[in-house]
Amino acid sequence: MDRRTVLKGLAGAGGLALSGLSAPAIAQGASARTLRFVPQANLANFDPIWGTQYVVRNAAALVWDTLYGVDSSLQPQRQMVESEEVTDDGTTWTFKLRSGLKFHDGEPVLSKDVVASLTRWAARDPMGLMLKALQQELTAVDDRTFKWVLKQPFPKMLYALGKNNSPCAFIMPERIAQTDPFKQIGDYVGSGPMKFAKGEWVPGAKAVFEKFADYVPRQEKASWLAGGKQMLLDRVEWIVMPDPATAAAALQNGEIDWWENPIADLVPVLKKNKNISVDIGDPLGNVGSFRMNFLYPPFNDVRARRAVLMAMSQEDYMRALVGDDNSLWKSLPGFFTPDTPLYTEAGGEVLKGKRDLDAAKKLLAESGYSGQPVTCLVAQDQPITKAFGDVTADLLKKLGMNVDFVATDWGTVGSRRAQKTPPGQGGWNMFHTWHAGSDCINPAPYTAIRANGDKAWFGWPNSPGTEKEVTSWFEAKNLDEEKAAVARLNKVALEDVVYAPTGFFLSYTAWRKNVSGITKGPLPFFWGVSKSA
Amino acid sequence: MLSYILRRIASTLPVMAIVALFVFSLLYIAPGDPAVVIAGDQASPDDVERIRQSLGLDRPFLIQFGSWVWRILHGDLGTSIFTNLPVSTMIGQRLGPTLSLMMVTLLLTIVVAVPLGVLAAWKAGSLIDRAIMAFAVFGFSLPVFVVGYVLAYVFALELEWLPVQGYTPLAQGVWPWLQNLILPAIALGCVYIALIARITRATMLEVLQQDYIRTARAKGLGQGGILFVHALKNAAVPIVTVIGIGIALLIGGAVVTESVFAIPGLGRLTIDAILRRDYPVIQGIVLLFSFVYVLVNLMIDVIYTLVDPRIRY
Repeated sequence: MDRRTVLKGLAGAGGLALSGLSAPAIAQGASARTLRFVPQANLANFDPIWGTQYVVRNAAALVWDTLYGVDSSLQPQRQMVESEEVTDDGTTWTFKLRSGLKFHDGEPVLSKDVVASLTRWAARDPMGLMLKALQQELTAVDDRTFKWVLKQPFPKMLYALGKNNSPCAFIMPERIAQTDPFKQIGDYVGSGPMKFAKGEWVPGAKAVFEKFADYVPRQEKASWLAGGKQMLLDRVEWIVMPDPATAAAALQNGEIDWWENPIADLVPVLKKNKNISVDIGDPLGNVGSFRMNFLYPPFNDVRARRAVLMAMSQEDYMRALVGDDNSLWKSLPGFFTPDTPLYTEAGGEVLKGKRDLDAAKKLLAESGYSGQPVTCLVAQDQPITKAFGDVTADLLKKLGMNVDFVATDWGTVGSRRAQKTPPGQGGWNMFHTWHAGSDCINPAPYTAIRANGDKAWFGWPNSPGTEKEVTSWFEAKNLDEEKAAVARLNKVALEDVVYAPTGFFLSYTAWRKNVSGITKGPLPFFWGVSKSA
Repeated sequence: MLSYILRRIASTLPVMAIVALFVFSLLYIAPGDPAVVIAGDQASPDDVERIRQSLGLDRPFLIQFGSWVWRILHGDLGTSIFTNLPVSTMIGQRLGPTLSLMMVTLLLTIVVAVPLGVLAAWKAGSLIDRAIMAFAVFGFSLPVFVVGYVLAYVFALELEWLPVQGYTPLAQGVWPWLQNLILPAIALGCVYIALIARITRATMLEVLQQDYIRTARAKGLGQGGILFVHALKNAAVPIVTVIGIGIALLIGGAVVTESVFAIPGLGRLTIDAILRRDYPVIQGIVLLFSFVYVLVNLMIDVIYTLVDPRIRY
């Protein structure tokens, strides 16, 4: 390369730089219709039935629509469905789709697509599995009508089809929905308000969604997953940022527009910035938890589990997580999400009032605990579990227990917690996690409350009383019956210590002030969101 | 020389095979299960097992390894467990940002570190020398992420000169490409500038005491000619070696830098893949990195012969 070539190159670079300087004015309109969003986690895959992570569901809600959608009052509302009929005996449901629904490839949404989608969903979702067990037939009657015939009534049908916990009953074209539910789809065609730009997807870094011009929104006002999903943006870019400090700087700098969940430590900095709004993101928050393994000593004895509950302080857990910000947490003498219709504190006395360490020690001794190591799994790469684990280690030591503190990563905890072997042979005694509050509003999506022994979630709690009340809730015919069933459930689950709730906590979301229309909810909703230049 | 280069490239194949076997075995025995991560926190043990089966993770070690080797021999790095995308596509997506970062860092390092080292050697014992060496110690001691945060705060947040994060491909213009790389390159380059400046100074000091330098001075050659024509060329072999080692080390440093500046490069892909236990991606990246290491060593050997004609293979 000679001197002249270098100079030409530099001049070209200068020209490009100058053109870059002029770009904002020219591209202002386009920029205002593009929202740059930092999600809670990396969108590593994009099949909302195969992978049930919240981040996948959140992205999927843009691309795939549902037959019903839960609104902000937690009620399922019609979404793709125009009408439904149920026979008097409650066993035959006939649904009619709205007219004009189209997939992103231009094909109309037909009943056969719905039947295939519901079949795939029902193979993976707990409520879907219940429906599948009751199913006599699920068939397309005509292009816009389909029928679901059950062996016995399932009163929670509409909730199942519209719920927001993973996996949601998203509707895909038949050719995609016919994929084995345990294999991942590779074609991301939906009928939702945005199309997935597969060509621009860099897993772990960026995912792009473009407005679907042919989407037909409902006429009602949007409310969570229900109502008119009016897209005011042309393009939504999800930018994955593993480092919270970088995300905070990028938001302050205007390089991103909305950060889904800033960590509590950085919130004061964001609040000081006059261009940034900060508010609670999801009013349904999260329920902190640690699970004790029912299969092996000491926690196979209910007295040992109760001793832990008697001694634990939820405030310690919450302070470790959110610091001094009292607006971010509540004590939770139960299992269900506060400020939701079924919330109850029935039987919650054990978690209230002054902690009684001496009584707990006495009860632990009665359980026969004699100093054997208690294997406590803690994922150190998750701030929430790390904070909880540190508090638990201290708690167990105060109780006089011999703690085998296994500090590791989430991948290892996830794998090891599935081991049913004794703690000394690769198993465990306890692990920490948390549950989205939207999953704890009733027993349907609440995997962690189930206590059917070997079939239950990790920890394999066995509490026939709890299971009986779960069934009572499913059979309840009205809200009063539901409330009564859940109150009984809460009491018995606390008595048997299905798991230990460590408190209810919220987190913030933050956005630039030129963005408007952001609503609080269990997932980020982009409909109704707009951005000014 | 050509036959030497070909032999060296051929010799990389068994090295890569051994590395691959080692990595595959290590992952196999390491705790963690991608099926658990895929299934999500609320999944039942049965769901996890079904996913394991569908991904073939329940098959014996030798079958999994054999099938992987077979695919590699057919030029197929496999498919990511998580994204369902070919590993080669994922690596291809991430290669540009990492190569760009390494290239700019390397350029910056050489342009800054070598003159600093020469200057320090020339002014040995002076205030300038001490200042340069103090800077070197400082640069060497600061962790990349600390330098990164400080740079981002000053130049992005306060002065608003440069962006905090991201990557723009070169195809969209030199300046847009460069402006995303300046801060990360400085953050990543600090430690290498310090290292290479010190090595340059030390080797230059040694060379400057040689008889032929004295002769050059006696002949009345200017200081610039002595330093850059006679001394630097003869001091180049150790400097080139350190730069070569630096390239290899840059790959490691890029992991942190890419996270701090949200650059979608191979470093971040590696960390993500390890945390998720995305075995095919990890294996593909390790193979690539092994190849890069071997290639860098080969290039250093070739450069030796150019800077010192006495070296022959």
